[in-house]
Amino acid sequence: MSESKEGQKGEVVQVTLDRRGFVKGSFTLVGGMLLAIEASKLVGPGLLFAADAPGKLKPEEMMKYLYAVREGCTGCRSCEYACSMYHNNGLVRPSVSAVHVKKYKNVIDIPMICWHCEDAPCVKACPTTPQAIVKDKETNIIKYIDDKTCLGAKCNKCIEACPSGFLRRHPDTGWPIFCDLCGGDPQCVKACQAQATDTAPVLSTAKKGFGVNLAYRNVNVKDAAEGLMQTLYYPNTDGGRR
Amino acid sequence: MATPKGGYFGKMLEVDLSSGKISTRAMDEQIYKDYVGGYGLGAHLLYKELPPKTDPLSPQNILLILPGPFNGTSCPSTRLNMCFKSPHTGIFAHTEVGGNAGNEFKWTGWDGVIVKGKAAKPTYLVIHNDKVELRDASKLWGKDTYETDEAIKAELKDDEFRTIVIGPAGENKVTYACIIVDRFRAAGRSGGGAVMGSKNLKAVAIKGTKAVPVANVEAYNKLAAEAKDMCSNVEAWQGVKRWGTAGLMEFANFVAGSLVAKNYQTSWYPDVEYLGAEEANRTFWKRHTACPNCPMHCMKLGVLRTGGKYDGLIAEGPEYETGVMMGTNLGLVEFEGAMKGIEECDAMGLCTISTGNVIGYAMELVQRGLLKPADLDGVKLEFGNAEAAIAMVRKIARKEGKAGALLSLGIKRMADKLGGDASKYAIHTKGQEMAAHDPRGFKPRGVSYAMGQQGGDHHEGNTPDGQAVFAWCCSAVTCTLATATPWAKRRPGIVCEMLNSLCGWNMKDEDFWTMGKRFITAARVFNIREAGISRKDDVLPVRMTTEPLPEGPKQGAVFTEEDTKKMQDDYYAYYGWDANGIPTPETLKSLKLDYAMEVTKKA
Ligand code: SF4
Ligand code: SF4
Ligand code: SF4
Ligand code: SF4
Repeated sequence: MSESKEGQKGEVVQVTLDRRGFVKGSFTLVGGMLLAIEASKLVGPGLLFAADAPGKLKPEEMMKYLYAVREGCTGCRSCEYACSMYHNNGLVRPSVSAVHVKKYKNVIDIPMICWHCEDAPCVKACPTTPQAIVKDKETNIIKYIDDKTCLGAKCNKCIEACPSGFLRRHPDTGWPIFCDLCGGDPQCVKACQAQATDTAPVLSTAKKGFGVNLAYRNVNVKDAAEGLMQTLYYPNTDGGRR
Repeated sequence: MATPKGGYFGKMLEVDLSSGKISTRAMDEQIYKDYVGGYGLGAHLLYKELPPKTDPLSPQNILLILPGPFNGTSCPSTRLNMCFKSPHTGIFAHTEVGGNAGNEFKWTGWDGVIVKGKAAKPTYLVIHNDKVELRDASKLWGKDTYETDEAIKAELKDDEFRTIVIGPAGENKVTYACIIVDRFRAAGRSGGGAVMGSKNLKAVAIKGTKAVPVANVEAYNKLAAEAKDMCSNVEAWQGVKRWGTAGLMEFANFVAGSLVAKNYQTSWYPDVEYLGAEEANRTFWKRHTACPNCPMHCMKLGVLRTGGKYDGLIAEGPEYETGVMMGTNLGLVEFEGAMKGIEECDAMGLCTISTGNVIGYAMELVQRGLLKPADLDGVKLEFGNAEAAIAMVRKIARKEGKAGALLSLGIKRMADKLGGDASKYAIHTKGQEMAAHDPRGFKPRGVSYAMGQQGGDHHEGNTPDGQAVFAWCCSAVTCTLATATPWAKRRPGIVCEMLNSLCGWNMKDEDFWTMGKRFITAARVFNIREAGISRKDDVLPVRMTTEPLPEGPKQGAVFTEEDTKKMQDDYYAYYGWDANGIPTPETLKSLKLDYAMEVTKKA
């Protein structure tokens, strides 16, 4: 189901959407108002975060998601550095970074982040009981239980299931590498914003809402790359030589 | 044999292409303490391991692929260095390239590769962590650099490999062929592509998933973060983030008076407005791109939107040097032609700086009637003719026809071959074409060209101590643009502190300068041994010293005899070399280069 709210003129309106596939729907920007054409149910003011709020946490604490405006990515990989340093005893090791930047035809850099899907396909695909990964409603992360519960390299069903190709295998162990949002303080975002001294930063945290946790969900690397080729390099959309 | 606590793995790969043997060479920590990596280590290893006077295109030449200690760590702006004996100049060659290959290499767990011998047929080397193999490259031979990279990733079924490749120019051993990384990044100078080609080595594909060990992680990461901030916050470089180095084109013309145009006949070229950063911004640029962990993103990727013949051309650039050498130096007035020329050089695997110089030189020879259309297969090689220049790039790469054969020689050999007045207009030092800054307009650049150990290069440093700093950058293998000025000008000791926490060493700040002198002197003694280099060679081309600039902000300027003498004297005094430019025995001793005593005695 998707939920949306119509706002007063000029006011920014949050739209919460949690149904997969909705990304294919269309949106229109009208007079400063974001209007979800496909939205079927309108909710009243103040109810925006009510459905998920567990009470204790403030909405801004629980509503953290990663967001990426990929057009501006410089391919500097500072995000990979930061993620791996944070989770790997301070050592840089992009091959175990959760966020990873894919190069396409050497002309597009696509930062791959976890969208922390509400009805996460990776979680659905996990065959163990109890499941080795669960969607944590409080933190939004896909919580990885432990290396004992996870079947690792002989399974990797989650990796296959992730529609955006975010998940990767750990090069040594074969366990999937999940994004834990760094316990609420995403290091990749900090690193990306710090390097962007005169460009708009690519990575940010955002509250669940229009375009967030939604916009790229079904977009795998190839689709994303081709989309960006269209946007950035038209008329040369195949990236070949001329 | 001691192993470093961090920054290095303590082992190098040794690949003998003749026998196909791949082996591991253990590296003692002391050699890293003395030479660090890249430039310094390369100069030392070449001196020790290359038989004197080796033909650079023979199987005996050694190609060293050397990332530095900082590669793959939290250090900003690291690159990849390669050293060899240059087939273009016959002396020491160090060439550096940005992009992703350097760090990827380090993550494979090797400190470098020593490539020797010659493969029986086209071959490429695959390094995937500990798994190293030689593969057949027959199907890749003849492909341009872009196609080669794509084909390798397809063959290995893994697009996470990073490649170091040569194009047709390297295959055909054009002595100024370059090595390409990430499609548009070039290890340009001194002909590394020809060395690879002479070894039948089409490419190296690299994938690494390890981490570089760090002795004191917390201290190191803190210093590296400080170092990155210093790179990001140089006031003079803020414009480079936005406009790349291409932004210097207009500056060099209208302010500095050091732009190069029409084979150094003038430094005044107002049409630069149609070739420089502003034009690129209007009709070409789309994105900024950066090397790993670099806050500068000085590179600009774009797509031509001019509606002309090359509409839709995707390329990276122009940089200051490429934009000048393939643009103003050729007397062009259209951005499109210049950009296609640059892209063609990348695809063919040619050094854009040398190629632009060579074509500009030929254009002047045509202008003066010293070359006739018949000498050039009928190509109308006149200033302003972009199509002729682009056609010539392809001919040079394939050594095609009379024109290709002649121009692929490079300026020095062309002048030697043509004889007569041709040498008057030949712009090179030590056989290396100069890089886009006229030293009459900007004299410090003369130091880089005349005194630098690989001849006419812009990455050598503009003062004696500046050269020590640049040699440091190329030894630690960090970017000379992003790191030299911010670190050296404000706090050179930060490099020593970083190495101390990274490797567990106890270097003192003053070691920085001693070691810089060691790197340069090690290259110098190699050059003395190989080519008898001395004071007579540390000079600028005759045009720089005899023809005053005819117009522009520095009208009338010339690099005088006194300028040359002062430049040489200051330099030799700083490095402890004698009046003939030969390191004194005391200097060699103090720098632990005693092994070169025999050679300097003879000089
Ligand atoms: S690899 Fe582990 S987390 Fe992924 S689906 Fe299998 S058991 Fe679940
Ligand atoms: S993006 Fe992929 S890994 Fe992340 S929650 Fe969705 S399916 Fe799982
Ligand atoms: S939020 Fe943290 S864990 Fe997730 S990708 Fe960014 S740095 Fe890695
Ligand atoms: S830090 Fe930002 S700009 Fe750099 S690679 Fe990551 S997403 Fe792209």
